[in-house]
Amino acid sequence: MVKAVRGTLVKCDASVKAMLVDIDDKNGHEFIIDELDEEHIIVKETKVAELKQRLQNMMKERLKEPESSDSE
Amino acid sequence: MSASSSQALEYLELLPRQTHTKLYEQPSTVLAIFRCMLPHLAKSIVMAMLYMTGPFPSGDLDAWFKPDGKKDKEKALSVLEQLHIILGKQDSQRHISYELYKGFAHSLRQALTGGGTHRSFGVPSSQLDSNKVSVTFLDEYARKQWENILFYMVGSTVGLTGSNMVGQDIGEGTKALLRAGDFVKVAHGRVSITRTGFTFVLQETNAQVWSLLIVYLKHAPQLGMSETDVLSFLFMLGSLELGQDYTTSTLSPTQLQMLEDLSAFGIVYRASKTSQTFYPTRLAVTLTSDSGALSSDSLSSSLAPSSRSTPKGFIIIETNYRLYAYTSSLLQIAVLSLFTKLTTRFPNLVSGKLTKESITRAVKLGISSSQILSYLTSHAHPQMQKNQPFLPPTVMDQIRLWEYEGERVETTNGFLMKEFATESEYRDLVSYAESLGVLVWRNDAKRLMFVDRIEQISLYLGKRKNRGD
Repeated sequence: MVKAVRGTLVKCDASVKAMLVDIDDKNGHEFIIDELDEEHIIVKETKVAELKQRLQNMMKERLKEPESSDSE
Repeated sequence: MSASSSQALEYLELLPRQTHTKLYEQPSTVLAIFRCMLPHLAKSIVMAMLYMTGPFPSGDLDAWFKPDGKKDKEKALSVLEQLHIILGKQDSQRHISYELYKGFAHSLRQALTGGGTHRSFGVPSSQLDSNKVSVTFLDEYARKQWENILFYMVGSTVGLTGSNMVGQDIGEGTKALLRAGDFVKVAHGRVSITRTGFTFVLQETNAQVWSLLIVYLKHAPQLGMSETDVLSFLFMLGSLELGQDYTTSTLSPTQLQMLEDLSAFGIVYRASKTSQTFYPTRLAVTLTSDSGALSSDSLSSSLAPSSRSTPKGFIIIETNYRLYAYTSSLLQIAVLSLFTKLTTRFPNLVSGKLTKESITRAVKLGISSSQILSYLTSHAHPQMQKNQPFLPPTVMDQIRLWEYEGERVETTNGFLMKEFATESEYRDLVSYAESLGVLVWRNDAKRLMFVDRIEQISLYLGKRKNRGD
């Protein structure tokens, strides 16, 4: 019988997916319901905002932004 | 079907059958739904069936469609079934036949051919109004009220309130509604716009009116109003004539209460709260038509019909990301400043620059690059419109890249369907979901699919189970 699972489909590239899985691993698997393929995962609907926030933080730590030239 | 009425359609589809049946008692409602909510194909089907005496076998219906039109047919039928306009029946030989709901058919015939004393298309006032107002006045009134609402949302976010009187005088009711609809949020006594609010502001006026009215509808029961009453009144407004005064004596208590709120939005005009007549404004009469209400540029210049047919653009963008906007409207300046670093303001011109900082700030607030681009494109200065595309491609690409840096993931809420027993079961459901337009993602190897709406899918699954395969 077919089953329907409520959740949020998150589409991202493989590198971001690795980070998301990493966040999930470190937080007792409370975000991800299922990993579908290289670029898609299913996340608990209520946790999406928090997961995005954590991803932002992680990116800020890991990626160095080049100074933007903002001259007028 | 325009983009603006599609959200109204989405709302209508979710109503229960009883509400639909009640709604369809009014010819004006039926006509409005028929005119602007249904896809064209669904209209043809309804028209064909309107004067049929008996049920219409589905085999005959299939004969009307080319094999490659199956997808469109399914879509049209599913809309009609959701709205409880047609009823699919199965007889003892398992032949499916369709029939229009009696109430709907009756009202539609009445609306098309006239007759009856339903009075659902509004009753013009019989007394001559000594201070009758002109269409120009009504347009001006509608524009002022609506712009105030928009400015309340945008202005307070970018910190322009206090510098001017506009945006201050919108009613408490309207403010509460904007909060309830999650268009703005109030933190520490300061109003700031939300993601939904952004989408709202950048929509065309007609779509904005519907968005606000749908929030209003959802909160109608809390205010002690009946949803059906409210809806049929809105549909009636859509069929009124601009510049004509209508009497309030035929309205129900709910509708009288509504008049007050609607005049706060600028959808109707009343000389005073006790006035015996009301005038619909352009916002009201375009509710159920495809032609745009007050297009957002005419909102700030003039509302004369001539200016709507040739929208005036005012924004110039150079390849070095500099932006010049020929406007003195505070609302437009406020909208621009949501995603632009504005530096100078002249009497008829503001200038600034699109920077990474200003775009990412907008993205953080929930505005998307495509929204920014479509706003800039639709308001491009005539001089820019000579180029193809209107905006410099480098600028368009850069805006998208800036957004992508901030937003690395794309999310869709919905349902994952899994554990299909057979390949054919999977294929069948995938093609059905595709024809409905709810399929977001599929993986044939793992037999998985993701849909953003499930109501009709589960109905379909239920039916298939009953058929026993």
